[in-house]
Amino acid sequence: MTTAVPQRPEAPVVARGFGALRVPALAVAGGLAVTTLLAVVDPNQPGHYPTCPFLAVTGLYCPGCGSLRAIHDLVHGDLGGAMARNPLTVVALVGLAIGWVLWARRLWRGQPRSWAAPPALLYGLLTLVLAFWALRNVPGWTWLSPA
Amino acid sequence: MSDYGTPPPPPPPALGYNSGGMGGAPPQNYLVWAILSTVFCCLPLGVASIVFAAQVNSKWQAGDARGAAESSAKAKKFAMWSAIAGVVVAIVWVFFVVVVAALSEGS
Repeated sequence: MTTAVPQRPEAPVVARGFGALRVPALAVAGGLAVTTLLAVVDPNQPGHYPTCPFLAVTGLYCPGCGSLRAIHDLVHGDLGGAMARNPLTVVALVGLAIGWVLWARRLWRGQPRSWAAPPALLYGLLTLVLAFWALRNVPGWTWLSPA
Repeated sequence: MSDYGTPPPPPPPALGYNSGGMGGAPPQNYLVWAILSTVFCCLPLGVASIVFAAQVNSKWQAGDARGAAESSAKAKKFAMWSAIAGVVVAIVWVFFVVVVAALSEGS
């Protein structure tokens, strides 16, 4: 009786621990570089950074307008200022930070991606962005505009 | 909730083209790039990227592994293009600033 030895599927060699964290570390380095640049080179001074192309072409604010100034404000500890410039940026940064922690934890443990966000959440994000885009351009209502 | 990720799925079913199935890992939806380009590149490309990211997850949830993989490829393409567009805009801007500075110096 020679039963074929069941082929044990070799588990793919997945790096874990510090070796797996190279890309997340790069992401942090990139984020720190951008943050440092924004902290040092003030986006409130005209001419330091390009104007948003959408704003330059259409004269309307896009969902990202004010994000550089918002980050500049955050680095200098001015949460209120950041919210006034672009609340979506503040929310997005929190989301990105949480996402980074989950991502790094998964890689650290050497696990494959196993969770997909519920689609409703993503369509909700889309709706939020589009609503924000529209609302910040309502004339005379400057609550959400970056100006 | 805190521990999704528990044991890695057993041996993947018949390794091969798109071993997707519901047992495999969901395809990458590049949502991070979508968010980054929406918030930082000021490019409406970011909004399209969010749509594709959402498609990846909804097709995946519906059991359509192949469709999810296709949407994932589109999301990747948009992530790349928005990154490239961001870099191009930055380069054009720097070029523009340098040219304006040179011209105003010359006159």
